[in-house]
Amino acid sequence: MPDFNPYDHKKNTEQMKKLIVTALLILLAFAIFAQAKKPTIMVVPSDVWCNANGYMTTFDNQGVVEKLPDYNTALLEDANLNLAISKLGEMMAERGFPLKDLGASLRSLRTQAAEESVTLSSDGDALAESPLDRLKRVANADIWMQLTYTLNRVGPKRSLTFNIQGIDAYTNKQIAAASGTGPQSFSVEIPVLLEEAVLAHIDNFNNQLQAYFDDLFTNGREVSLLCRRWSGSDVNFESEFDGEELGFLIEDWVAEATVEGRFSTVEASENRMVFEQVRIPLQNANGRALDTRTWANDLRRYLQKFNIDAKLSTKGLGQAIITIGGK
Amino acid sequence: MKAKLCFLLLCSVCLTLSTGAQQLPKRHVKKANEQTQEWRYEIEPVNVGTPGSVVVKVWSFSKKPEVAAEQARKNAIHGVIFKGIPAKDRIPGKKPLVETPVETGFFEHFFAEGGDYARYVTLTTNGAIAAGDVLKTSKKEYKVGIVATVAYNELRQYLESKGVVRKLDAGF
Repeated sequence: MPDFNPYDHKKNTEQMKKLIVTALLILLAFAIFAQAKKPTIMVVPSDVWCNANGYMTTFDNQGVVEKLPDYNTALLEDANLNLAISKLGEMMAERGFPLKDLGASLRSLRTQAAEESVTLSSDGDALAESPLDRLKRVANADIWMQLTYTLNRVGPKRSLTFNIQGIDAYTNKQIAAASGTGPQSFSVEIPVLLEEAVLAHIDNFNNQLQAYFDDLFTNGREVSLLCRRWSGSDVNFESEFDGEELGFLIEDWVAEATVEGRFSTVEASENRMVFEQVRIPLQNANGRALDTRTWANDLRRYLQKFNIDAKLSTKGLGQAIITIGGK
Repeated sequence: MKAKLCFLLLCSVCLTLSTGAQQLPKRHVKKANEQTQEWRYEIEPVNVGTPGSVVVKVWSFSKKPEVAAEQARKNAIHGVIFKGIPAKDRIPGKKPLVETPVETGFFEHFFAEGGDYARYVTLTTNGAIAAGDVLKTSKKEYKVGIVATVAYNELRQYLESKGVVRKLDAGF
């Protein structure tokens, strides 16, 4: 703490100047680092492509046979798919968005699972994992680029139909797309047709992606919030606190915590509240990047003011679930 | 002596004519530049091109076909930046790089004679005009089609570096 002498005006002015400069530098640092988290993008072959090319696995879901895409085999066996993914990756990296690699992510998940299965504590305890944890252990990205291509043949002529769809993992909404059928050719190889298709469509795709990012910066990220209660809980959403029903208190909190109060209450009963098209800011007041979980955690903390315990969980990247009445 | 003088005079006339032929008439060039600003040119895709480039055919108008041919380079860049490329047959179009006009005077320098625009365009056939690509639209005007390759990605990066076009990852 600098010495303060009320009669030494010159020294005091110097100290004041130093304080102002330091404060300005701190503010500047906040302004520089207060940036939104860069979305991760991953290219995956679409379910249609996987099905058409025989890369599906089946499993029995309580008597119903369901099909799931087998990305591992597809990446291992289809060189053209790898080419399309790497070309898209090259073009996106050039625009400042290096793609998260599907193959590497799947490998990393396998390695992690193998390591965790043999990890034991000194007392011989295995790592705790609930069935829900196992379900959630999948490759994640903020935006999925779903790729489909089909080779068309008309007599000796060949052409390629190409489709990329950008899906926001938070809302599962299509945020960008580019598709079309390329020129017909007698002699051009499939990899060349594929490369041409990527080159022809990627700029249009990126234009739509830019519009999506603009919307994100202006109106916030779209997520959804589900509030529910444990059956044994004494509190429900019609319980009154400070003369107001809990449901309305939560609704008021959501209105405060969203960009320009943008959200819609889809369902509200004593046991359940569903909020959709909830636009959360990209950063909190401290300039920290905000995701659905961090945002909903503030609601959990708010409920503690009324002595309500709540469990916070998430579904995918874009849905927060608050269950009141215990953890 | 007289023959020598005549020979020298002839040489000097030939020299003047040949250098004059390389310089395009200024008033036609000025007119062509005005037409570029008034969007009086047409642009269409030819094929997808190599990574990072686009191949377009630009149709320019002038009294002198050679002026129109020369203006094609400027029009190709102007078209990619402000007009966009319309889709044709099975080749998808491209949106303009700049959708809202910039009032900073940046583009006046960019499109000036010897401006930076020339770094991002190449006339594919070295400026040679195909037989069907010179059309006489009126008594005093030609419409000339020239195929040009625009270094699309480099041009976009240049405009991004100058702050004219926003980067895709701006704000993150």
